[in-house]
Amino acid sequence: MRNPFMDFRSVHYQKKEIPLERIVKAKQEVMDRILESYFSIVEEEAKDLVWLVEHSRVVKTYDAAKESIRDLEYDQDDIEEFCAQLDSSQKVPYMISGPAGIYISALVNHIAQDSIVLGLKDYERTFHFLGFRLPEGKTLTLQGDVGDFIGAGLSGGRLVVEGSTRNWCGAGMMKGEIFVSSHTGQRTGEWMRGGEIHVDGNIWSTGKSIFGGKIYNRGKIVIPKESD
Amino acid sequence: MMRDLDHILKTVWPEVRRRHLFPELPTPEYGEGDQRVGLDIKGKKISISKQFVEGISEVMEPQKALEGLLDHAVSHYLYCPWDFSTHLKLYREAKKVLKDTQMAKRATDCFIDVVADTSCVSQKDTPLPELYKHLQRGSMEEAMHALYQKIWGMDLGVEGHHEISRKLSRLPYLDRSRWKESIRRFARAIHYLLEEEEREGNLDKPSSMGNHSLDQYSLQEIEKGLQELASDVNSPTEFKEILQDFKDEILKGDMNSEQAMGLGPGRSSDANILYYMKLAENYLLPIRRTPMEKSGSLYPHHHVPWEVGSPYHDIDPWTSFGKIMPGITQTWQRHEGSVFSHEEGTPNCIVIIDSSGSMTDPTRHLSHAVLGAACACDAYLRNDAQVAVYNFSDAYIGAQRILTYSRNRREIYRTLCHYFGGGTQLQMESIEALQTDRVPDIFLITDMQITNLEIMIEYFNSVKNRVTAVHIGNNKQVQTFRSSMALRDNVGIYAVGKKEDIPRIVLGKIKEYLYTLTP
Repeated sequence: MRNPFMDFRSVHYQKKEIPLERIVKAKQEVMDRILESYFSIVEEEAKDLVWLVEHSRVVKTYDAAKESIRDLEYDQDDIEEFCAQLDSSQKVPYMISGPAGIYISALVNHIAQDSIVLGLKDYERTFHFLGFRLPEGKTLTLQGDVGDFIGAGLSGGRLVVEGSTRNWCGAGMMKGEIFVSSHTGQRTGEWMRGGEIHVDGNIWSTGKSIFGGKIYNRGKIVIPKESD
Repeated sequence: MMRDLDHILKTVWPEVRRRHLFPELPTPEYGEGDQRVGLDIKGKKISISKQFVEGISEVMEPQKALEGLLDHAVSHYLYCPWDFSTHLKLYREAKKVLKDTQMAKRATDCFIDVVADTSCVSQKDTPLPELYKHLQRGSMEEAMHALYQKIWGMDLGVEGHHEISRKLSRLPYLDRSRWKESIRRFARAIHYLLEEEEREGNLDKPSSMGNHSLDQYSLQEIEKGLQELASDVNSPTEFKEILQDFKDEILKGDMNSEQAMGLGPGRSSDANILYYMKLAENYLLPIRRTPMEKSGSLYPHHHVPWEVGSPYHDIDPWTSFGKIMPGITQTWQRHEGSVFSHEEGTPNCIVIIDSSGSMTDPTRHLSHAVLGAACACDAYLRNDAQVAVYNFSDAYIGAQRILTYSRNRREIYRTLCHYFGGGTQLQMESIEALQTDRVPDIFLITDMQITNLEIMIEYFNSVKNRVTAVHIGNNKQVQTFRSSMALRDNVGIYAVGKKEDIPRIVLGKIKEYLYTLTP
């Protein structure tokens, strides 16, 4: 009787190395390090149970994030993937939106590239604090609607939002430019000291305390007011 | 040329089968097609466009082209999507990101192609890359081929698309456990290309390797896929939405089948029925069959040695060698015989379901009452019994729906899924009308917030039916019902708070029968 499995002996299996495996492995290593560094920040922040938006707190978190990514090498795609991980991956068990946004800003500010585009259109979560302290010489483009404190403390960079921002857009910015193609929320430009905010859609309200800089709505200047 | 191609296909197919370890697929054939689209798969049958092969033969060997096409088709069968269930899961993730049916379908098709082809290229000696080199390309194909170029490390003659291929090349296509996450990122990255295709009206045009319609799956696979989808989704609304997206294909499959799944043309509300039908199939509730009865007669069972002083009438002369002698003589030991009673097997069942305002609307959210009742019906129907349904809300003002004994699944589930959303009053006369000579089981599912609860308790105290009462949640009325039924051996009471509680129900489980079965 003929062995029915004889045919299988004629098949020689040889797995081929294709570049995909190498690329995925290298990217995975980088992502693991980014996530590890993010978790250490969040762990520290979570100790106080409540994360309050205070100037000193924001600065402290940003400094810690900057320190933790100092030796990391990554690119724009890694930042985008990190956003995707925050949005829906099981690898990130919880997300505190404040520190998450500040951490992304630290990643953007530390990257070697001058121009960064982050596609945030199809995410379920909203990211806050993006563009925090964006330095001079860098352009950050955010595609999609974003959250609160976008471009806060902007430090000379150019921030382009292809969508709407929520409240406190450009809060405390020092210099640089923010372009919003759609709307901004309440207290746009609160505590700003310099730079320009250009909004193509509606501005819900401008900040109550503005110490410098200019806000334009559909090309017309709204801050400082002509009477000022 | 045509005869040559037939011959080539006959020689190539065994080689492709051998390469893929002999998958159980029917022999491919040439079918109708155009010069642009090479493949079509319907119910596992691979059909190849002769015009396509003739066209591509001008730039590559027809044998290689056929091998490539078949490798691609077999990889879909063997690796991705593998089955309809995986296809639906991938589609669901793509839809979450893209929010558009056509775009999500196209993105799923592209993802499935990338995974299947990459798996084939990494594990088999295939001419697929050569085939891809010569295929006609739209903007989406060009981006995908640029990706192949990067992740396979082969020159396919594509220029440009660096950014998209860079973004897509980092996804772990060969890691099945991460496909859900990968397709979300994949869909997000190609969103702009899909928008471009939509603008150009190319979104529903098949690629050169063909589309992945539901035609490629068997009806059994579609049924299984829907069953898994029903247990995966969070609500009937989500199920209905996905079903709506594949409505045409499912209807086509349903009408071709003798054992239709439950959908009919123009009956979109049937999606709810199908949801509970498929979900119920995940819970196979056991029914305790009506036990056998002792006949009371004694029958010769086995031999024991005869002893002095024992009666003579049971002596077996054949095994005793005609002698009356202790140790040699054998006598028959008699046992009571068991016979089947008139009610052997599974009785029919009256399912009583509460669809008053305090119950969940089954069309909006997952209703544990409908799911529990659906599981019970499914169990009785699987055991060849018939089911009658009494769906009630404010029965005395007409808010009740009665289905007499039937085995028509669709009608049974339709009656179960009906939602009145009013007050809660039972009409015992309607239930009594469903009682038959052959005592049926009763399955009751309610939150017990029934205005005439006392009358119902009185009724259940007077009947001999095996009653399985399931209460949703816990309240004062539930406690009243439980304490009133505590002494009844023919009533089993179960609580259901979540889906996981349902498998604990044993239909027709009765203390009295358990006692009689114990020796």
